[in-house]
This record gives sequence, structure tokens and C-alpha cells, in this order.
Amino acid sequence: MTEIKFTLNGKKQILNTDPNRRLLDVIREDFQLTGPKEGCGEGECGACAVLLNGQIVNSCSVPLANVDGQDIVTIEGFSSTKQYHVIKEAFAKAGGVQCGFCTPGMIIATQSLLSENPHPDDYEIKIGLSGNLCRCTGYNLIIKAVKTASKDGDGLW
Amino acid sequence: MKSYIAKNLVNALEVLNKDECEIVAGGTDMLIQNRSHTGMSIGYKTNVLYISLIKELDYIKEDSHYIYIGATTKLESILKNKITPIILKKIIHEMASPAIRHTATLIGNIANASPAGDSIVGLYALNAKVRCQCINGERIVPLHKFIRGVRIIDLKFNEMITEVIIPKNDFSSIAFKKVAPRKSDAISKMSFVGLLKIEDDLLLDLRIALGAVYITVVRNKDIESKYIGKNIKELKENIDNILKDYEPLIKPIDDQRSNKEYRKKVALNLIKDFLLNV
Amino acid sequence: MKDISKSINKVDNDEKISGSAKYIADFVMDGMLYAMTKRSTISKGEIVKIDYPQLPDGYYIINHKDVQGKNVIKVIFEDWPVFTDKKISYLYEPIMLVIGPDKNILTQLLDSIQITYKEETPLFDWTDSVIDYHFDKGKGNRIFDQADKVIEHTYHTGYQEQAYIEPQGFIGYPEGDKTTLIGSIQCPYYVKNAVKQAIGEKDENVRVIQSTVGGAFGGKEEYPSLIGCQLAVAVKKIKKPIKLIFEREEDMSVTTKRHPSKTVFKAAIKDRKIIGLKAHVSIDAGATIGLSGVVLSRALLAVSGAYTVDHLDVSGNVFRTNTVPNGAFRGFGAPQMFFAVDMFVEHVAKELNQDPLEFRKKMLVKQGDRTSTNGLFRDPVLMPEMIEKAIKESNYLKKIEDYSKKGNYKGIGMSLFYHGCGFTGSGEKDVIKAKVKLKKDKNKKVYILVAAVDMGQGVKTTFRKLISHMLDIDIKDVIYHNPDTDFVPDSGPTVASRTMMIVGGLLARAAKEMKKRWNEEEFIVMKEYEQPDYIEYDEKHFIGDAYPAYSWGVNIVEVEVDPVTYQVDLKKAWSVYDAGKAIDERVVLGQADGGLAQGLGYGYLEVMNHKNGKIMQKNMTDYIIPTAMDLCDMDTFLFDNPYAYGPYGAKGVGELTLIGGAPAIAKAIENAIGKNVFKIPVTPEYIMELINHD
Repeated sequence: MTEIKFTLNGKKQILNTDPNRRLLDVIREDFQLTGPKEGCGEGECGACAVLLNGQIVNSCSVPLANVDGQDIVTIEGFSSTKQYHVIKEAFAKAGGVQCGFCTPGMIIATQSLLSENPHPDDYEIKIGLSGNLCRCTGYNLIIKAVKTASKDGDGLW
Repeated sequence: MKSYIAKNLVNALEVLNKDECEIVAGGTDMLIQNRSHTGMSIGYKTNVLYISLIKELDYIKEDSHYIYIGATTKLESILKNKITPIILKKIIHEMASPAIRHTATLIGNIANASPAGDSIVGLYALNAKVRCQCINGERIVPLHKFIRGVRIIDLKFNEMITEVIIPKNDFSSIAFKKVAPRKSDAISKMSFVGLLKIEDDLLLDLRIALGAVYITVVRNKDIESKYIGKNIKELKENIDNILKDYEPLIKPIDDQRSNKEYRKKVALNLIKDFLLNV
Repeated sequence: MKDISKSINKVDNDEKISGSAKYIADFVMDGMLYAMTKRSTISKGEIVKIDYPQLPDGYYIINHKDVQGKNVIKVIFEDWPVFTDKKISYLYEPIMLVIGPDKNILTQLLDSIQITYKEETPLFDWTDSVIDYHFDKGKGNRIFDQADKVIEHTYHTGYQEQAYIEPQGFIGYPEGDKTTLIGSIQCPYYVKNAVKQAIGEKDENVRVIQSTVGGAFGGKEEYPSLIGCQLAVAVKKIKKPIKLIFEREEDMSVTTKRHPSKTVFKAAIKDRKIIGLKAHVSIDAGATIGLSGVVLSRALLAVSGAYTVDHLDVSGNVFRTNTVPNGAFRGFGAPQMFFAVDMFVEHVAKELNQDPLEFRKKMLVKQGDRTSTNGLFRDPVLMPEMIEKAIKESNYLKKIEDYSKKGNYKGIGMSLFYHGCGFTGSGEKDVIKAKVKLKKDKNKKVYILVAAVDMGQGVKTTFRKLISHMLDIDIKDVIYHNPDTDFVPDSGPTVASRTMMIVGGLLARAAKEMKKRWNEEEFIVMKEYEQPDYIEYDEKHFIGDAYPAYSWGVNIVEVEVDPVTYQVDLKKAWSVYDAGKAIDERVVLGQADGGLAQGLGYGYLEVMNHKNGKIMQKNMTDYIIPTAMDLCDMDTFLFDNPYAYGPYGAKGVGELTLIGGAPAIAKAIENAIGKNVFKIPVTPEYIMELINHD
């Protein structure tokens, strides 16, 4: 047992727990935040993506030990921001959501990308989404959604 | 099993001095290798030392001869830094998705010592060295001597790799090819790095490194030096000889990702293509 | 009236984007236990002895002895045990569940169960035929007597894994005498009926509820019946909530996949034309037959592809092997056959020195032509116009001419295909007998009561839209919850591209009646499937109309092959589809992109094989599905061609969009490298072989 402190969705948290736990399990089980999903458990599919200090990481591949003192935002926390609403509308308008299992991860990837590069071209968008697997859409409508978000949310990032 | 979270280097070295540990930096590979089940802690079979939060090892710096990259520097920071060698940037750009780049480290990729580790191929070609520190001192080891085999490295139980040291060099031609089953988010079937320097039509430096075609990265300085000093025309005339030189060194395997015939043929094709395009 | 095809935002966007939609792994219940599966470590043999560890309090083992009903999964062919009693027929066959509150202890228990086997030599060759079909059209094999030339080729297709991003899972719990399951499933009533049989319970004592489904693609058609039954057996005995969620590796190692196939084609040629075809298809069922016979049928029925051939000799076998059972996957036998036949016709044209496109166009199915089983293509076939559109949009003619010059490694390929909509043969009438209900309540809310599952294809949106259009009410007043067998009738499984055409068709009929009776305050309209009277099909002899309607497609794919690494770079794809009428254009375009992505993956990327019965690509790292970097721009064009019995004319769309991807990319690669392709996936390893060996 180790004391681990971190910020989760803007709130300071202190846990006395096993640092070898995966961040994903802690988020889902201790905080009942089930937006991040487990698709592969090995950092390949991106369904478990969260923002760590504002940047996308796969929470299934992050040991809790590594987040001590860090800032974590899940889709639940991100959904109260202006940026989220622009991205959400863009995904809806483009038709970028099918089964939805990869979607929260895609939203996190979009935010991480746009926060670094507010006006990405197609190639940069593809790279930004390259760690998020989607089996339903063939990605094109998601890429379109990211482009729309970048345009509609001009100035937000 | 115990787990330690080190917040500074001295702290980490002290832990290593008293307890044998697996060292975890970003953890992206260690977690997969030791994964148990959803909802269960990572099933390490030894004590672990987490070093990711050691701020003093998160750096990229340079002096007139070398570039130094610290053990906790994330791939993403290396990618974005101006002083990172271009070939290394090219590799990092293709070796992992953004999410992995934000957590994984270059030194983790070295310590993992997978024959398919892409960055290692580039670091071999760049003549990189690693600095290993323990509580009593340190040593600097050339990377090709440090990596002894598949997932085997020359690290003593009380040591950790604290930085990688890359000699500065200018090249007139660089090439990296990650041959993977898809364009991103994939483990290489094989990878290739070619570096060379030409001045006044003379080949001054030639480096070829191949990943995932043998138990460790294939790089052979004897072959390289045979052709250094030749002019471009001679170099091109010698392509078939160069391929003959490399052919016996390329001994890949069949696995779930590809087969040995393909790996070998593509390795030779890439060497040829690199030299033809000089 | 508004055009129904005009897109609206999907009704489940908000919950899915915000992460609040509940998938099966997201459910937690008080006192919930976890189940893990103990599996065989051999591919064939018998269990001689099992040594169990001492179970701590609160831990349970559930095996075949606990199955109170029939120890077999109810699917079309019943040869799949809930838990094996003794006989092992494939690696990782489930033997028992180990259940308890702490996963750490469960994994220790799993490790300490010692099973002794008597091992036998497993069969991996295709020699044990368990199903054998044959039918002729016209003169059958006798047409070869008239041939002046015979051309023969053999085509192979590999496994394909559905690779839904959400792994399989259920939670089961007791509700009084009732055993209830919530799960990630396509077919609530398949699970319910299977569970009833396995636990030997009355209808009212089994309840199945669908959670939000994170992708399925056929992978959650019959497989969930197996784990649903296992879990139900456990719940009935232990009387506590139990959660069973697969880990990714477990999922990929043990769940059903697309059947690998081998198709041998012979063409009887006369006057440089195909006058007859002989085809034999072999598919690998794996260890259980399950749905394999129906998969084979669908492959055989499509034997002449999008072309009319008057004389056919068609046969096929299902082979049983000691490998993981294969099953449903979007397309269901059609992708295997359309790859084989569309390549074959192209190869024949080339060998006859004819322009492949002109050769194929002359053979195209026309309205009024006879199907392979002497049924009728009754409805208009728009393929000539669709091909023209695809050619124009892609600049195909110019490109194929340019790319056919040697050494540029660019290629373009075109596939022509159809999909028979709905169940094969008389399945709808004789087996499924779908029922739907529409309910109007006092507040003028209308409830859609069907067992159709939204697994991403958008049926929650399209059904609500359909009903709101027909009744001319706000879509917000149309309610459609995830199916719960306690509340919805059995409208059949969510498979076979039947959901909009068949279930939607029934709903449309119900809505028509509801509209007439709208003044009534509160009432329910029920409709049952009635087969169009022109449909007659003899399943045994393969005679008649196997499908009520057909959807059609053209795919054009452009690639570039790297001559150094033999890797394929997808440049662009164009698609033209006739799926009757889109109930929502954007939903159909989403299906089009996603289906083509899977079809392309099947064609060039997705390698899966087994070594001594063990699946070698058992995770998302080794089983390669395309990322955003791999795919390309896809332009899709929809042709309206309303079908009389579909709502607003809608036919099937889900499976259609997968079928043409593999042959289109395979042909594009052929064009790029100047060599014929005979198997998929067309990997760089295979391309190297083709380029380097003549």
C-alpha cells in the first residue's frame, strides 16, 4: 500500500492503494468513471484513453505509481468544457459515432491533438488518431469530425 | 513483492542498492509483459522500482560533441526537441502512437532490448552509448555491447540506465524504414536505418543497421569500412558486393507477423534502395 | 412529405460521446462475483481425471454436471456443448467456470486445477466432411461437353476476426425464480432460447437484456449463446450476480471467426465466352458445425457472382477440424465466394485475351434473369448505370490503361457484387417467424417493441425515424429501449441484413395500422412476418428464390505497391450501392465506409492463422485491423431502387458493403504488379512471392 495523490477531473484525490494497479482500473472501479473502456488491455486500441497533464495516454498501460502528483482528466471531466461541446457537435454532425466503444477515446485523442495543433491537416489528423482503433466507421467520418471541430472551435485551442 | 516509487536519482540508486528490482519507466512494455487480468494489479514477478517521476532525468541536452537524453524523457519530448537527431525523430514518429509517445521513454525501449525495438536500430547506427549508474559510481557502455541478446542487457542488479549519449554527426543522406504490418500502432516485421556522409564525391561515413532480422540489431563496421573512401560511382558499382557482405548476417525468424524469406529479402532490398538513391 | 433519407443526428450520440452509455463491463451489482473459464490445453482427446483444489468459502466451480437441461447450445446445428463432459475437440475448449469474489484467488484456483488428458492426434486437414451440398442449374456438368476450352483456378481465403473493440461479456443474476442475463449480444432471443434449453427452464423464467453493444459484426450472433448458457447455469445454482467478461486474448483465441475457404472453379468456354461453371467450395467449420451449413449455402448461392451463367454445377463441403469453431461474420459466406468468383471471371477474361471489364459487363445479371437456383431477379438491376458512375468518378478507364503499363506499381481494381437480403431460403417463414409490436400510450408516446439490437449500425435512430415519419410525430415521442425479452416479442436476430428490410418492414405495417387507429387512446399493434407469396424455395434441393431481394454494389479501389517492401498503399476507393432506399443517408454512408474498411482489411491486411490449433494472432497487436493511417478517402454514391416490401423501399445494407472490398483490392494489386492473385489476404509476403516467382 502506498499513498498516491493526483488530480482527477479537477478534484484532488488521495488513495492508499497498490501502486501496481493500472490507472484504468482505478478510474473505473474506485471512481466509477466508466467512460474510459478496456478494449485490448495492451495500449493498442486507445479505448481507455485519458488526458495526463493534458496529453493523451492509454490508461491501461499506465501504472498508478506513475500518476502520483499528476493531473488526470477522463471523458467525464472533459465533457464539461467548451472544447468538448464543439468536438461533440462535430462528431454528431459528421456521423463519427457508431457502436460508440471507441468514441470517448477518439474524443480524448481529438482534444489532445487540437490542443497541440489547432489546425491539423488530414495527415496530421490521421497521426493524431493513429492509436485509436475503430472497427465500425473506417475512420473517414471521424476524420471529418475532427476537421469540423477544428474549424467550428477556431480560437478555443 | 515490493514496489518503490523514486522521486529522485539518489533515492532510486539507494533502493537498487538494497533490493533487486525491475525498473519501470513509462511502463508501456512492462505492463503488457506482466499483465494479469482486468481489475488486477500488474503481476510483476520481482520487486519494482518506478522511476518515471524522477524529474532530474527528464532532459535532452547537448555539448559540442554529444546529445544526452535522460532516462525519464518521454518519446514525445524527444520528438519535439530541436536538438534530437533527425533520424531519431523519424523513428519515434513512426514507432508509436501519440498516447504511447506521451508515456514511453527511449531508455525503456533500450532496456526492453527487443529485436524489433525501432529506436534501438537508430541508436546503433548513431553509435549511441548508455550511462549506467549505481550508488558507487557509473560506467558508460556502447549500446551494441550493452545489449547482449533478446531482452538481455548488461545491467547489474544495483544499476540503472540514467541516460543515452549520442555522438553528434552530420550526414548527407539518412533513411529509416519501419516495415510493419500496418502504418501505425504496430510492431515491426523488420526495420532499417541507413546513414552516410559524402564530401567531394567521397564516401566518408557509411552506417547500416537492421532490426528484427537477428537476435540483436545487425550492424557491421567491418563491412561499412570496406567501402568508406570510395567515390559514389564505385559505391554504386559495389552494391551487389555489399549485399553479399550483409546476406550472411541476416538471419531472421518466422513468427506470427511475417516470415524469414520476406524479412531477409526486404532487408536486402532496403540496403540496395538506400545505396541506389545516394 | 420530407425525403426520409435526409440525415438526422443519431439518437444515441450524446450518451456514446460523453462516455455515459453503459456497456456490459460498466455494470456493477451488489455482491457481484466474477467468473473465469478453465480451458483445455490440448486440441483433441479426453479428460481422464480432474484434481480440484480445496475451494475457499464463497468460491464455486461450475461444470457439465451442473447443466440441468440439455448440455448443448441451441443453434442451427446442435453440436456445441455448454461445458464439455469429457471429449476435447479444440484447444481452449471450456471445461468449467471458476467463480468467486476475488480475481486474484480465482486465477490461483484456475492454476491449481489439474486436468489429466488422454491426448489424441488432432485433425487439422480438411478431410472430415460433415455437410455435403450439391446443385445444378441448366445442364450442370454436362455443359462441359460443349466446351472448346476449360479454364480452372483455385482460390483461398483466410480467417477473419470480427475484432469488435468491446470484448464479449455478460452479467447474470437471479430475480426470484428467474435467471436474468444482460449482455453484449446481437440476438436476445437466440440467447434466451439457448438458455431455456440449457437450464431446463420455462419461458417466463429466463430473461435476456441487451446492454449497449460495442461492435459485433456477427461475432455476437451465436457465440454469446455459449457463454450466456454457462453463466445462466452458474447463476441458477449460486443465486448471486456473476460477471463474465472476456479478456482480449481470450476473446480472440476462443470466439468464432470467418470460415477459411478454398474454392475450385472451372469454366466451360465456348466461342471465347463462359457457357458454364463448375465450382466446389470447402469451408473449415472448426470443431463444431454450428452455423457452418448456412454459411456454405450463402457462398454456394452466390456462385456466379454478379453475373448470369445458365449452366452451373455447384457443390461444397463443410469440414470439421480440431480448431476453434468458426461462425457468423458480416457477409456470412458471401465474401469468400465473391472474392473467388469475381477474381475467376477476371482471370478467365484475361486468359481469353478479352477486356475484363467488357467481358464482365456482358455477363451482368439483368432483371428477369434466373438466379443460381432458378429463382428470379424480379426487381430492376441498376448495375450498368452504377458501373458507369463508378468509372466516371474514379477515372477508371484512363487509370487502368496507364497502370497496366509495366513497372509503375500503381493499380486499380473493380469488384461487382450483390447481397441476398434477409435469411437464406425459407428461414424467415419457417424458423424465425418474426413478430413486432408498436404500442401507443395515453401520452401519445409510441413504443417500438422489437428484439433488434443497435450494435452501432444505427437501428435505434433509423427505426425511430421510420416510425416518426410514418406517424408524422416527433422522433422524441418514439421510444425504443435496448431489447429486454420480458417486454419485446421475438422479432428475430439482428443479422443477415434483415433488420430494416424485414423488421423495419413489419414495423412499417404496424405503423400504418396505428395511424388509422390513432384516435384510440392506448393500444398495441402486432404484426407477424408474412412471406411475399411469390417466394418459394426448396432448401434441400436448392431450387427457387433463396432471397426476397438483392442489394447491389460496385467498388473501385486504387493502390500503389512499394517495389522495395511489397507493401500496399491504399490511395482511394469509390463505391456505388443500390440498397433500395436509405432510411438515413448518413447512417448508410457510415455502414458503407465501415463495411468497405473491413472488406479491404480482409483483402490485404488481416492475417490470422493457427499453428497446431492455436490462433497465432491473439491480440490487437498481432491481428492487424486498419488504423486511420492505413485507410483512404472513400467516396460513396447511393442509387435509389425501392423494393416493394421494404419500408420506403429499403433493402439490406450492412453486409453488402463488406463484400466487394477484398476482390477490388486484390484486383488493384494484380494490376499494380502484373500477376494474378489467388488468395487473400494479399500480404506483402505473398506479393513478394508473386513478383519473384514466375
